[in-house]
Amino acid sequence: MSGKFQNPTQDPLLLRIFLSLVAIGFVALFLVLPLLIVFKEALADGLGKAFAAIIEPDALSAVKLSLLAAGIAVPLNTVFGISAAWAVAKHDFSGKTILVTLIDLPFSVSPVVSGLIYVLVFGLQGWFGSYLLDHDIHILFALPGIVLATIFVTFPFVARELIPLMVDQGRDEEEAAISLGASGFSTFCRVTLPNIKWGLLYAVLLCNARALGEFGAVSVVSGHIRGQTNTMPLHVELLYNNYDYVGAFAVAALLALLALLTLVFKTILEWRYADELAAMHRH
Amino acid sequence: MSAFGLALTPMKLRQRRVLPGFGLSLGFTVFYLTVIVLIPLMALVIRPFALGFGGFWTEISTPRVLASLRLSFGMAALAAVIDSFFGLIIAWVLVRYRFAGKGLLDALIDLPFALPTAVAGIALSTLYAPNGWIGAILIAHGIRIAYTPWGVLVAMTFIGLPFTVRTLQPVMSEQSQDVEEVAATLGATRLQTIFRVVVPMLLPTLLTGTAMAFARGAGEYGSIIFLAGNLPMVSEIAPLLIITKLEEYDYAGAAAIGVVMLAAAFVMLLALNALQAWAARRR
Amino acid sequence: MSLIIDSVAKRFARFPALNGVSLNAPQGAFVALVGPSGSGKTTLLRILGGLEEADSGSVRFADLNWLSMPARERKAGFVFQQYALFKHMTVADNIAFGLRVRPRRERPSRGEIRDRVQELLRLVQLEEFGGRYPSQLSGGQRQRVALARALAIEPRMLLLDEPFGALDAKVRKELRVWLRHIHDKAGVTSIFVTHDQEEAFAVADLVAVMNAGRIEQYGAPADVRRDPKTKFVAEFLSA
Ligand SMILES: Nc1ncnc2c1ncn2[C@@H]1O[C@H](COP(=O)(O)OP(=O)(O)OP(=O)(O)O)[C@@H](O)[C@H]1O
Ligand SMILES: [Mg+2]
Repeated sequence: MSGKFQNPTQDPLLLRIFLSLVAIGFVALFLVLPLLIVFKEALADGLGKAFAAIIEPDALSAVKLSLLAAGIAVPLNTVFGISAAWAVAKHDFSGKTILVTLIDLPFSVSPVVSGLIYVLVFGLQGWFGSYLLDHDIHILFALPGIVLATIFVTFPFVARELIPLMVDQGRDEEEAAISLGASGFSTFCRVTLPNIKWGLLYAVLLCNARALGEFGAVSVVSGHIRGQTNTMPLHVELLYNNYDYVGAFAVAALLALLALLTLVFKTILEWRYADELAAMHRH
Repeated sequence: MSAFGLALTPMKLRQRRVLPGFGLSLGFTVFYLTVIVLIPLMALVIRPFALGFGGFWTEISTPRVLASLRLSFGMAALAAVIDSFFGLIIAWVLVRYRFAGKGLLDALIDLPFALPTAVAGIALSTLYAPNGWIGAILIAHGIRIAYTPWGVLVAMTFIGLPFTVRTLQPVMSEQSQDVEEVAATLGATRLQTIFRVVVPMLLPTLLTGTAMAFARGAGEYGSIIFLAGNLPMVSEIAPLLIITKLEEYDYAGAAAIGVVMLAAAFVMLLALNALQAWAARRR
Repeated sequence: MSLIIDSVAKRFARFPALNGVSLNAPQGAFVALVGPSGSGKTTLLRILGGLEEADSGSVRFADLNWLSMPARERKAGFVFQQYALFKHMTVADNIAFGLRVRPRRERPSRGEIRDRVQELLRLVQLEEFGGRYPSQLSGGQRQRVALARALAIEPRMLLLDEPFGALDAKVRKELRVWLRHIHDKAGVTSIFVTHDQEEAFAVADLVAVMNAGRIEQYGAPADVRRDPKTKFVAEFLSA
């Protein structure tokens, strides 16, 4: 009798095989091949050449600039995200939906538009253009512009992960701590933070990956000055357009490694702290 | 997006607000949001109207601008449909089947999120170039992807896939299987159950993921420009035209396109909220 | 055309959920399964419905080797405690589902389906509700839709797993009388799982008291009540 039984919630074997092959095939074709080609092209002339392209001064300065921009943007957005989540999750006020929607807005804006808006504010024909020129302050085509654009495109990351997580955890524990005489700050550090630490780490990780890799927005505001205002992705573009494929793919491979590292950490976090992260994925 | 289930609530303050930090956290949140996001966006929104509505219309209605908008939105729609079809299969395989290497497949889905778009761009361009791994095979069959509008489609499909998969996955895994069992007891074959029960029940979620992939694709820049060839009127996407106009110091023209893209992003956001509300009502 | 369940056993992982259950019921009987939580009632019902595989044992019903048939061919209407309605379909579409998925040769025409749905809506006293969605109905109304949907396929057997479990006492009492009425009208063999022994004894022709994957006692309600065969049954009935 066994063997004949058809589980009504399970697909027939042939369908299972077919759909699995479609899924694996699509992912292999669209996601894995591009990843492979990056490393293949980077190593086309051997490891030495690829390594040389990465430690070459312009490349190193691009690495530094990217790290610096992310190093400013990520902490700022983290503070913002925590603050926004604290306000939204732990308090009642009207207009919450609008606030949350506005926080999400940068995600749906094209990266190029994200850069464009700062050109319109700080550019020569922009709102503050002539003032900045008179006072010799450089925002566009300089570090501040790059940082601003990076902040904008990574703006919602921490907030949108933390808000559902903190809403889910409710307010009881904090209210208990306060009623026992703890200060607001120590309540946050001792009660809230331990509850959200993995979600926070997860969000910061993704925010950082995007900050390091942002291309469109930064491309608009950077001015593409080799060795000065080129971030890593912009440096990749520059090398590629100069037909230095090994160099372009070597730097690209470095970025791809960072992306893979992010995915590994993300996957580990999701496996180990599935319960604590569940609320984030339910939205 | 913004599916945190927070309704706009006129608050009945039954209980006293006990948690501290409300003023500070909300104040900082609103301040930061205003400075980083709202004011610069405002600069964009009012910019083209410096020329009056007629001026805005003149900027938008040139054939080149219209062609770029049509390409960006048209291909994004097509890519979103492809992503929702394969995303549905991939999510289904990930949620319902068990096989070796499933964890790896799952982790790989996020690659387009994590991989900088410029890296994806040069990788896709190399793959689909006439002498590339995929391009060579397709050329042999008379299909050309690189430097044509189809290159735009390929890049947008790459970039949008995680949106559909990751939106569907949690909903699929929470959906109770008793409806499938009922369908079987009522005489439905497995395929009938899938097409008449499972997929229709997932429809709001599927549309949400599709809308997100569409929004992302329409604004995408980095992964497309290397592959598409950027021929005006043929394979030039709207974000690229913004950059071209900025390089020609045509701020008003750039801003006009930017406003259209922003308006589209806003409409998508509203549509997403409506979809989410619909999905919630279905529960 | 009677139901003969013979030594059906089932274990989950290493945990035995059914330890050889045997039970005979004549055609058209209304059998109630009662027993404490975890005693295997749902498991037995799901095996009869084709939703779960038995490890061993056999079931004959209407002279068919019941367990070798897939769920969709058994024509056993299954009603879940949580209704399991198709939320994206109207009440009428829910009821029509089992007719519409039939292979073309056996499928009634559109008009016939419409008439049949109307008839069933009348039967479950929801004539005005055909166009509504399940989310717009009360719990009792939803359960009646679930029942109408199961009846639409002209089932040979009705399997009801605590169908009234989520409803309040007053509605339960109304519905159980009505359920019995429908059972008699449809002429099916019904197996009805309930936590509520009062309910079981009030409506069923035969009562099976289950414990730890076995049937402790099986018989007419009056006999079981008068003469509990084991200490467990006596205690269970007095609880
Ligand atoms: N899918 C499953 N996997 C593992 N164990 C299961 C599964 N389904 C049921 N069991 C176990 O089998 C035993 C019988 O379960 P069953 O659901 O049949 O009990 P029941 O009599 O219907 O209980 P209740 O009155 O609470 O619904 C229980 O101990 C249960 O834990
Ligand atoms: Mg049960």
